[in-house]
Amino acid sequence: MSTPALELSGLKKSFGKAEIIRGIDLSIGKSERHAIIGPNGAGKSTLFNLITARFQPTAGTVKLHGEDLIGLEPFQINRKGLSRSFQITNIFPKMTVFENVRCALLWSQGYKYSFWNLVNRSRDLTEGAEAILEQINLTERRNLPAGTLSYAEQRALEIGITIAGGADVIMLDEPTAGMSHSETDYITDLIMKVTEGKTLIMVEHDMGVVFGLADRISVLVYGEIIATGKPEEVRGDPKVQEAYLGAALEAEH
Amino acid sequence: MTDQITTDPTKPSQRMRAGSMTLTFGPWIVAAVLLAVLPFIFTNNSSITIMNQMWITVIFALAYNMLLGQGGMLSFGHAVYAGVGGFACMHIMNASDFFAALPLPVLPVFGGLFGMGLAIIVGSFSTRSAGTVFAMISLGVGELIAACSVIIVAFFGGEEGVSGDRTYAMPFFGTEFLQQIEVYYLISGWVLISAALMYLWSRTPVGRMSNAVRDNPERAEFLGYSARWVRFYSFVASGFFAGVAGGLFAINYEILTEENLNTTSSGIILLVTFLGGVGFFFGPIIGAIAFTLLQTVLSLQTELWAFYAGTLFVATVMFFPGGLAGLMMMHVPVFRLGKARVLIRPYLKTLLPALIGILGLSALVEMVFHVRHAAYGDDEMTLFWTTFNSHDILPWVIAIGVTAVALGITRATAPALREAWNDANTAGGSA
Repeated sequence: MSTPALELSGLKKSFGKAEIIRGIDLSIGKSERHAIIGPNGAGKSTLFNLITARFQPTAGTVKLHGEDLIGLEPFQINRKGLSRSFQITNIFPKMTVFENVRCALLWSQGYKYSFWNLVNRSRDLTEGAEAILEQINLTERRNLPAGTLSYAEQRALEIGITIAGGADVIMLDEPTAGMSHSETDYITDLIMKVTEGKTLIMVEHDMGVVFGLADRISVLVYGEIIATGKPEEVRGDPKVQEAYLGAALEAEH
Repeated sequence: MTDQITTDPTKPSQRMRAGSMTLTFGPWIVAAVLLAVLPFIFTNNSSITIMNQMWITVIFALAYNMLLGQGGMLSFGHAVYAGVGGFACMHIMNASDFFAALPLPVLPVFGGLFGMGLAIIVGSFSTRSAGTVFAMISLGVGELIAACSVIIVAFFGGEEGVSGDRTYAMPFFGTEFLQQIEVYYLISGWVLISAALMYLWSRTPVGRMSNAVRDNPERAEFLGYSARWVRFYSFVASGFFAGVAGGLFAINYEILTEENLNTTSSGIILLVTFLGGVGFFFGPIIGAIAFTLLQTVLSLQTELWAFYAGTLFVATVMFFPGGLAGLMMMHVPVFRLGKARVLIRPYLKTLLPALIGILGLSALVEMVFHVRHAAYGDDEMTLFWTTFNSHDILPWVIAIGVTAVALGITRATAPALREAWNDANTAGGSA
């Protein structure tokens, strides 16, 4: 078997005495769509933050395509091809929608810290950003400051920014949180479309989205993964039923 | 930002490219023509002196805004980069052999390089974070270098500073820069070049990311950019242009002292930039012009000019955080809707009494100042071309009366202005 896209082993995180992540081993293959579910406070977002170096883990390793990520800064991890979105919308609110996407393209198009190129002279940048806007259906919002978009549009923009750099491992933290049904459907289709052929790892509460999108699911409860597997398997797992799913599924109906 | 130009969404790229050509070159050509023509309109020497000071402040304020407005870094010690650049230029002026082989217009480049060198050293540790930490480090470094001026006498010249003579430079196409007007054109050339370069900088990848880091450093990190290095490059570039301003200062005044480094100078440039407006590229230019006018013209009229400048600054921060540029740009949507006419009458009705009220208030301030501080027996004062006795009752009654009535009218007409403003900003309706 080839090297997994993302591999976690023995990952732990404590804040003081509180153990939030208690040893996670997880391997996510290339082009897999993997969902992490679990009750509130299970440590899903913390797990995301550990992988992307927003927090430093207490113990354990994170490997991206077999390369160790521990000790790297977020921007270095991003350059290695891992990109993420945030639970709370995290965009550049004062810049235009177009500029948001263009900024996300700069590094991957090799501009680095250059001050001898003009961004609006580069056809690649303009066309690249326009293609992304087309994909996320925000072409008409192009010149508006991103902060004035509706909530769902901002979430879509954030997904656009996340994928724009061409990363092959995409992590989305609750992409449909706080959305209406139609908005959720829109974002789900969008995620489906833009992560084609890429590895997707997402935290999600909406079971409809999870079962619709994911190839595999991991259930995280109190900092531990109690089950990993195909949606049907996870759904049928009695431990999962007990810990989480039963309650969540009942709440859905 | 100036790039929020609405374009036809159906053909965005084409429209933008065509539009950006006129938008890019238009203002620069106008600026160049203005710079060239102004000395023919304001011909006397003092006007030229004022303009020289103005354009130097423009460069410095634009450099400062690369940090404050574009990079979100509040510096309390930016005068040191201009100052050190200026001192370096003074020493080059005094290095007679080298200076004799150097055309004077090239000198500010050295000022820039020295400013940049210092910025590289300081920036290497100060740009790790923005916000309070950066502000405190900038203040500390600013104080430190200002304090060095009396310690490292060899470079800063102690209390009397360093002076030199610009005319020892290699003649530049036969010009020896003996006259103020020649210096004017030297400075004008530099202001045009520096402003254009700083504008272009804001359009480069690192300039764009500077805005991104200002808005959301964390997001920028997750796009592959280190927020720290983006800040560092902005800081270094800003140090360069501050140094250029310092070099021009050296050429214009032929002396630099501790005053060019201290926190007062750093504070003034913050004030200038904020007054003009940090949100727009041209904001600092307006701020520099307005402030220099206050400083030079108003200071001839009253000893209290700094008080008025301070009041204006506080009023700007409180009521118009966008500065003068923000105030101007607020009107763009109105003009675009073609409803500027709606505003003319309400503006006259409110702003005219407001102006009279403000002048009345300042008259009262001046009178209080005169009563308290004029020499004993010197009861005569002149205000608004009227000479009167400041110890009489009548002038006080008139001043208080006029002020009260004018402010009263302002207050009474303000709601109508607000309504007109809302009307002017809504499309359609009665024009």
